[in-house]
Amino acid sequence: MNQMAHLSINQISPTENQQAVLESFDKTLFLEGPSGSGKTTTALFYLHSLLEQGVPPEKILILVPQRTLATSYYNLLREPYLPASVAISIVTISGLAQRMIDLFWPLIAQNAGFAHPNHLPIFLTLETAQYYMTRIVDPLIEHEGYFESVNLDRNRLYSQILDNLNKSAAVGIPLIEIGERLKKAWGGKPSQLVVYDQMQDCAIRFRRFCLQNNLLDFSLQISIFCNYLWSSFLCRQFLLNRFQFLIYDNIEEDVPVAHDLIRDWLPHFRNALLIYDTDGGYRSFLGADPEEGHTLQSVCQETMHLDQTLVTSPELRIFNEVLVQSIQHRSLIIHPSIRQCLTSRYHRYIPEMIEDVCQQVNRLITEGGVSPGEIVIVAPYISDALRFLLINRMEQLQIPVRSHRPSRNLRDEPATQCLLTWAKLAHPHWNMPVTRLDVRNALVQSIAGLDLTRAELLSQIVHRPGKQTRELGSFDLIKPDMQQRITYFVGERYEHLRRWITNYQSNNNPQNEDNSCLEVFLSRLFGEVLSHPGFGFYRNFDAAKTCTELIESVQKFRRVVSNTHDNSQHSIAVEYLRMIEKGVLAAQYLQSWQEINEETVLIAPAYTYLMLNRPVQYQFWLDIGSLGWWERLNQPLTHPYVLSRRWDENDVWDDVHEQQTNQTAMIRLVSGLIHRCQKGIFLYILGVNEQGNEQRGQLLLAIQSILRHLPPNEEV
Amino acid sequence: MFRPRPHQRAVLEYRSGKMGISAVPGSGKTHTLSYLAARLIQEGYVAEDQEVLIVTLVNSAVDNFSSRIAGFVQEFGMLPGTNYRVRTLHGLAHDIVRERPDLVGLSTQFEILDERDSYRIIENATVNWLHSNPDFILEFTKPDIDPFQNGKIRDKWKELAINITASFIRLCKDYQTTPEQIREKLDSLKFIHPLLQMGADVYADYQRALRFRGALDFDDLIRLALDALLTDANYLQRLRYRWPYILEDEAQDSSRLQELILRTLVGESGNWVRVGDPNQAIYETFTTASPEFLRNFLKENGVQAKTLPNSGRSTHSIIRLANYLIWWNNEHPVHEELRGVLSLPYIEPAPPGDPQPNPPDQPEGIYLIDRKYDSNKEIHAIVQSLRKWLPNNQDKTVAVLVPRNERGAKVVEALRQNGIEVVELLQSTQSTRTIAEILCNVLRVLSDPLSPRLLEELYQTLRSREAKRLDFTDTYNKVKSLLQHCERVEDYLAPTPERNWLEQQKKQGNPDEVISELVWLQQSVRRWQAAALLPIDQLVLTIAQDLFTAHNDLALAHKLALVLEHARMINPLGQLNDFIAELDSIVKRQRKIIGFSDDDTGFDPDQHKGKVVVATIHKAKGLEWDRVYLMSVNNYDFPSAQPYDNYYAEKYFIRDELNLEAEALFRLRALLQNDLPGIFIEDGYATQRARVDYSAERLRLFYVGITRARSELVITWNTGQHESNQPALPLVVLRSFWEQQNVSSS
Repeated sequence: MNQMAHLSINQISPTENQQAVLESFDKTLFLEGPSGSGKTTTALFYLHSLLEQGVPPEKILILVPQRTLATSYYNLLREPYLPASVAISIVTISGLAQRMIDLFWPLIAQNAGFAHPNHLPIFLTLETAQYYMTRIVDPLIEHEGYFESVNLDRNRLYSQILDNLNKSAAVGIPLIEIGERLKKAWGGKPSQLVVYDQMQDCAIRFRRFCLQNNLLDFSLQISIFCNYLWSSFLCRQFLLNRFQFLIYDNIEEDVPVAHDLIRDWLPHFRNALLIYDTDGGYRSFLGADPEEGHTLQSVCQETMHLDQTLVTSPELRIFNEVLVQSIQHRSLIIHPSIRQCLTSRYHRYIPEMIEDVCQQVNRLITEGGVSPGEIVIVAPYISDALRFLLINRMEQLQIPVRSHRPSRNLRDEPATQCLLTWAKLAHPHWNMPVTRLDVRNALVQSIAGLDLTRAELLSQIVHRPGKQTRELGSFDLIKPDMQQRITYFVGERYEHLRRWITNYQSNNNPQNEDNSCLEVFLSRLFGEVLSHPGFGFYRNFDAAKTCTELIESVQKFRRVVSNTHDNSQHSIAVEYLRMIEKGVLAAQYLQSWQEINEETVLIAPAYTYLMLNRPVQYQFWLDIGSLGWWERLNQPLTHPYVLSRRWDENDVWDDVHEQQTNQTAMIRLVSGLIHRCQKGIFLYILGVNEQGNEQRGQLLLAIQSILRHLPPNEEV
Repeated sequence: MFRPRPHQRAVLEYRSGKMGISAVPGSGKTHTLSYLAARLIQEGYVAEDQEVLIVTLVNSAVDNFSSRIAGFVQEFGMLPGTNYRVRTLHGLAHDIVRERPDLVGLSTQFEILDERDSYRIIENATVNWLHSNPDFILEFTKPDIDPFQNGKIRDKWKELAINITASFIRLCKDYQTTPEQIREKLDSLKFIHPLLQMGADVYADYQRALRFRGALDFDDLIRLALDALLTDANYLQRLRYRWPYILEDEAQDSSRLQELILRTLVGESGNWVRVGDPNQAIYETFTTASPEFLRNFLKENGVQAKTLPNSGRSTHSIIRLANYLIWWNNEHPVHEELRGVLSLPYIEPAPPGDPQPNPPDQPEGIYLIDRKYDSNKEIHAIVQSLRKWLPNNQDKTVAVLVPRNERGAKVVEALRQNGIEVVELLQSTQSTRTIAEILCNVLRVLSDPLSPRLLEELYQTLRSREAKRLDFTDTYNKVKSLLQHCERVEDYLAPTPERNWLEQQKKQGNPDEVISELVWLQQSVRRWQAAALLPIDQLVLTIAQDLFTAHNDLALAHKLALVLEHARMINPLGQLNDFIAELDSIVKRQRKIIGFSDDDTGFDPDQHKGKVVVATIHKAKGLEWDRVYLMSVNNYDFPSAQPYDNYYAEKYFIRDELNLEAEALFRLRALLQNDLPGIFIEDGYATQRARVDYSAERLRLFYVGITRARSELVITWNTGQHESNQPALPLVVLRSFWEQQNVSSS
């Protein structure tokens, strides 16, 4: 756990145990302990000490399973007294794989089966991989009757097939065995089995397509790195020479092939610190394998334990023990002192709960002097509606608040819709429909000071979707009384925008694909018109950011797709717009870690919060009756446990497995949360959830068993 | 403190095994069952991690049960809210599937389509089918009617075909049969009846559309719950442990699947209490629900059969009427196959000294009107009667019960026009619709911001009630009139220094109250316009936060926001007008949405004294009022299988008076049961059968209507649209009985 989220390394001293770790140089060390016991802090001391001793930064490799888990390291390396530290490599296994593939491509491209070894590799993002998956799967659904017996929307279907490809690579199961493995574990109706065969077929077709077109999705990157590059003498020597010091944090959250790699590599490091969180394993559904990770202990020269939590109060520690007993249906030994750290609240409806949460947070800040950054609000799922209401209310109470979530889907961003509307109007040969409402909304956003009513009037006059020509009408040709209603001030700006589009059109030949380059259009429209005084994006930093992200998303798409795209049918821009509208391309960006303001109340899904690895004083657990606290995410085409190394291939997945894994996962989740909490937890019980249903999840039942034995708190 | 009657005490002695209870209306079965649940919990028959499961029929009963059990549990000094779970069958099925969606091939966030969405898909598939099979319509239309020339007939045909396919699909799902299985069976036949062909094709299209959306309908949910139970023995075992006692209410309306699910959950040696009144089975038409399940259960070996015959609800006169109906049906049925549709026991009044005695008898409060009203005059007569009755009975409850929603809507309109305060208990409730209507009108103004008419309508929706309540009708009317004449809305909502409509109104000397209303509306609309670019769910929530303060209203708006967000996911290119149409379908009662207001979750008639509740008889089940009006008791809404009766399901444009829905379902049942003669039976047989079944159900519905009344009962009938209907036979019989009674007593 990172104590230095708020403190600089110079402001704290290592504990006795941490000091012992710092003295274990020139060996490989396995450090384990529960969340909050100071493991990552130890690693930061360790890193600091390496640098102080003059270890060249480029010799240091910091390996983490997910980028957010590297935040503490980035924070440390930004310290002004560590200027050379930029050369340190902080990577995930897929990041490392990409770098090596880029570097050694000519060496392995042919052997790995790529059809064009002389052309450069194209790395797919999750979205572009999904885009290609649509091209494989859609014809099979439409013409071959694939996936007839499964109720699943298309975007989830694509992503689950990709997930299977990824698990195959991350776990090390041959791709062709995935379907068979899922079939063997299936205990339900035999009619489902054909779905696994179809999934298998799609996965193989996708892999073939990638090899044919030099495309590398996550699964292929990992497979090639593990199967070709790591075994190639040149690449291996490069890595062994390059890195001599290793910090591998959160081993329990990483995938088995990463563990295999380090097992093999470990003897070659001069120094290595491997860190294992005994509470962790939150990414199991993504293929993480904590048990496998723990086996790395046996190849380390020394093991050290940090058992004492440095975060959690004694009462919360007792609460954790009692809660685990209760979840496991063991007899409860309850100490009344835990009441001091718990507040339980019941509300029938969600708006009451939201109001109460905000009032409690406000009270903690204004009366209790708690910093907003010391408060987190978690729930298993947070719908957009719930997030929106919480943030709104907090803002009304002037509480600084942020929500850790991916950005909105691109198609839902008004600024995106505005830019794409102008793009469609400027390229009539794309034949993409534009409604009056689209034009009105684009006008409102584009022209500063234009109200909705006049925008409606203007759009009704200048946009005639039925007309042959898609050109926008000129303000100068509108009847004077209407001009007066719209106002000349608006008319002038509108004319400027319209003329710009007309000029753009006349300078561009629709026959030439390059001239239909969407990102160039967007970039020029933004730079030459919308970002100027008098227009809507002037000093509007959010809109500018959306515009940048949109341009970046188009560029990525073009880069990836131009290789395989049949230009004679549609322009890439049209394909891009269609994919945006279908929701296949969402271009969702996680707020990058640099931008996070720590001094705000955080609203996040529980697992997301855990992966931020950041303790707080107070936690609010919303809707503890929700089944989301307990269940795994069920996906009909894949299965995180069956596709793991722990699974016995002759077994059938049944309710006993389901119960055991859910119980283990929930214990991990609540313990992880409690170990990241210093002072108190507010538990919220809802009568009916957002959908109007009453839910009695296992967490609620376990907590009710505890509350029964406690004196009521006044707020109950 | 609950003081049980002797028969109730006998039920409360139950501790294990299977028990069936036949209860009469008003016998306190909800109370008894709730008390039994609380006792089982209090006496430690359920462990800390177990629950008594109560399964009831409709959402409104869920809260009623929950609050009663909570009350008893608290009386026993325990924590409410634990160790019991009250669910409808859908709720229970949702719990079962939601906990292990993997067992039935679903993902965690599976979507359940509501009735409206599901109807739309069926509509689409059916219309497409009719287009490709024009001969189908010709084959069944009366020879003297050209269905393609007459727009009205065309629409009616469409509606009929959709009803047939919807019922066909529901029945297939009830029998757990997939489109592929139906197809396989049909492929083995040499001749396929067009009704079967249509049903099978539309069913296949419908399921394909559901798959495409990754969605289920309500019937799938129940079918899949049973699948899940039968798929994983360990899961079943775990649920059997969790619910060691199952108490089933309204068991007379249990369907084949409900019976199967509960029987599976209970197991051979489990504990199961089923309570119901076979005489109140009113959900059987075109479903597999049947009171026979309860009747047969009562006869099963090892089942303790009990009765709850005492009722303190109604006066002796009303009980006499209800009992006479039972006697008449058993002793002198008008059709041999209707004999025993109403079964014993008779209703017995509460025993002497009972804490809930029957109301004092009031035979003069019973009016069985034989006057021949036409459809409108019947409503008029009831409105007049209420206008007279209400002023002297402000401390009493009254309901107008109708056989159909559409009739109810007309009654509501007439009562409102006469200034009578109404509480609706129709398809979707008043408060749900009010919230939806307000949101809908705000969205309309955002969609068409130039329209003064929409602005005026919005103002009306927002302020009409307040205006009445706070007595500023004059100001309200003035504001409306000014808005109507606001030609350039932009000068009002976004004025410029040169053109400012509001300033103009001030200068013209309009009173301050009027100006302040106009300012309020201007500010509100501007705030909403500023939010117009938000995603639809966030826009609705923003508006709701501005307009509503009550938590249940906000919760309802929250749910509507989710409904719209769901609509947006299904139709990603949807725009404001599409969302307005969604809300409008709720406002126009085309779409049912379970809201969060009291009327949806446990309606209490006593909360509405001095007002008129308008309800369908179906919705009125389980409720009671001091005075009840029972309308439209004619031989169309309540036929008795007589040659001169008219039937709702037999459409005038269909040849040979066929009931096509019945014809289709009869053949479907035969197909599912591999009954070849049944599949190829001649047209008309199923129609005849359906007449009897429908008459049976409507007789029970009539019985339910009568037994809603505590003291006074008014029954009327009308001649219907074509002025050809006659009074329903049971009404004629009751009237004659009642006249004889009064003659003999006088």
